[in-house]
Amino acid sequence: MARRLDAALELLDRQLIGNGGTLAGKVDDLELTDPGGNLEPPRVTAILTGPAVLAGRLHTPVGRWLARVAARLLAPGQDQLSRVPFDQVEAVGASIRLRVAAGQLDAGAGEARVGRLVGRIPGAGDAA
Amino acid sequence: MTRHPRQPSCTPAEPTRRRRDLAAVGLGLLLLVATAGCTGPVRSDGVYASKAAATAGAAGSAVQTAELAVQEAAAGRLFSRGLAQTLAEAASDAGDVQATFDAIQPPDRRSEVLRGQLDRLLTPAASALADLRIAARWGDTAALPSVAAPLPELAAELQQFQEAHQ
Amino acid sequence: MRKLLEIALGVLTAIGGFVDIGDLVASTETGARFGLGLAWVLVVGVLGIILYAEMAGRVASVSGRAVFDLVRERLGAGVGLLNLAASFFITLLTLAAEIGGVALSLQLATSVNYLLFVPIVGFLVWLVCWRVRFEVMDNAVGLLGLALVVVAVAVWRAHPDWGAMWHSATHPVVPGTESHTAYWYFAIALLGSAMTPYEVFFFSSGAVEQRWTRSDLVVNRLNVYIGFPLGGLLALALMVAAALVLEPRGIDPSHLSQAALPTSLVLGKLGLALALLGFFACTSGAALETALSCGYSVAQYLGWPWGKFLKPVQAPRFQLVVLASITLGAGLLLTTLDPVKLTEYAIVLSAAALPLTYLPLLIVANDPAYLGDKVNSRLSNAIASAYLAVLVVASVATIPLMIVSKAGGG
Repeated sequence: MARRLDAALELLDRQLIGNGGTLAGKVDDLELTDPGGNLEPPRVTAILTGPAVLAGRLHTPVGRWLARVAARLLAPGQDQLSRVPFDQVEAVGASIRLRVAAGQLDAGAGEARVGRLVGRIPGAGDAA
Repeated sequence: MTRHPRQPSCTPAEPTRRRRDLAAVGLGLLLLVATAGCTGPVRSDGVYASKAAATAGAAGSAVQTAELAVQEAAAGRLFSRGLAQTLAEAASDAGDVQATFDAIQPPDRRSEVLRGQLDRLLTPAASALADLRIAARWGDTAALPSVAAPLPELAAELQQFQEAHQ
Repeated sequence: MRKLLEIALGVLTAIGGFVDIGDLVASTETGARFGLGLAWVLVVGVLGIILYAEMAGRVASVSGRAVFDLVRERLGAGVGLLNLAASFFITLLTLAAEIGGVALSLQLATSVNYLLFVPIVGFLVWLVCWRVRFEVMDNAVGLLGLALVVVAVAVWRAHPDWGAMWHSATHPVVPGTESHTAYWYFAIALLGSAMTPYEVFFFSSGAVEQRWTRSDLVVNRLNVYIGFPLGGLLALALMVAAALVLEPRGIDPSHLSQAALPTSLVLGKLGLALALLGFFACTSGAALETALSCGYSVAQYLGWPWGKFLKPVQAPRFQLVVLASITLGAGLLLTTLDPVKLTEYAIVLSAAALPLTYLPLLIVANDPAYLGDKVNSRLSNAIASAYLAVLVVASVATIPLMIVSKAGGG
């Protein structure tokens, strides 16, 4: 079931929401596949997210530098890319709902890692 | 309003020269802003005179603050702790202002004369404020009004000086 | 009846929470140096923040998303990142200035050096961000901040010549001791203090935290249209008090203690105590707001879970950014940088970055995809655009004026 979308407008930089309703980062980039020599437009085959991905996409040198710094600070020494195949997308609207849980994305793994650190501070599990 | 401010990645490499130029401009701007508040060496006596006037104004502000604080304390409107702090701040402000001014080399004879005139006002002001600070620290509130007696005249003279050399 | 109480609480909190260290320093200093010559700038600034805060609250109520969240979506990752970098840096400076303000207020009350209070205040700010519920925090500091009303009372009791004051406010004149460049530099600083960027982020994020919906639009408008002008009146009172007491004596306030002198002159020790309480409360509130705003802006740009309504383990990176910001802010103060000077720089840089904050907000508030039928009316767009033009001019003029006037030192 293919749908024609204006990818730049309706997909890029949108909020990703995991299947539990948790926020899971933003659409930082899109994986496009060239369907071949025909006049067909490229298809979006996956959503890419992660600070390194963002760094690769930005045009301004300052922006790229900032994103690279962020990538190094936020996800040191790990695979900083998270790829969500497009068939895992449940709905495209104001936000992009996914069929996977937020924690399964690498962005989610970063959250979990910091979560373990933060969880050591007393009161972290209590609702404010 | 439809806009396409973004494209997915596959952009060519950026020219590095533009990046260097931008960085240079940015650094220059940063330096300018950072040094915006600094005072530099003085070349003309006009600039020196206006610095002297500004110094007189700042010293006058400290003197007037102390005077007002002592008045309010005498009328029972200030806590002694607050009074001690205000007087300490005024004393250190006056001292700083004089030190900064004295560190500037007068560019010519006339400026040197001006410096002498101002110092003759700054030194008693700083010393009176220092005395007040000490008296307040000792809790000697009754003595404060008399220690503060020379302040009004000093304030008036500093103001005159400032207006004359604006 | 309950609704009425809720509205009253919202309005009172808006009044008490309006003033922060930037308003305190800017209003007192401009009053002392220029009398009422810059009162018009305060009026312009307060009207501006009212206009845009209502927009921010509306965006959050109708779309359920906070403003910064939508900036990246609407304007792209590159512009959004530039916006984030500038806003985060300035909000961080402001956070440091607010913590400094709290520490200075405590120094005034206890005579203990403010530097010793800085780590304690930092820790307490973090603790409240960590544990205390949003509404409780918001209401407590807002209501305590009402103590600042004592300054308005002092102005009233001083029986000034209202006619002469009205005249000098409506016919601004640059005093002989000041240069024109200093006048305009302070005009921009005052504008920056009234229209601080973090207010917009905090207001809209707070609306999402408190789960505002369309039905809360009316309450939002009342808070903003009644609370903010009255809060602005408090800032004006600070300016008038300084104009009445400090200006005739040629006192240029560079310490927080001097800001309290007018109130104690008119109302004595009780007035002074209330003024100090007001200083403490409004700077504490603003410290909390700026700390959270640092977290909000980073988390919302990157799409992380955010908010105090989540347990810290559910939004750990957001909480980490808040903690890191507080630590950096406190660290900046511990370099013994003068907090009052820091405040001046923070508000001037805020003024320079104002278009970055308000342009995206204006764009988002016009987008029917987010607001449906609640987009801006033609009239509010006209006024908001006029404001934006003024802000762009002010922003461009900031750095040159700062250099020429030597940061107001003349």
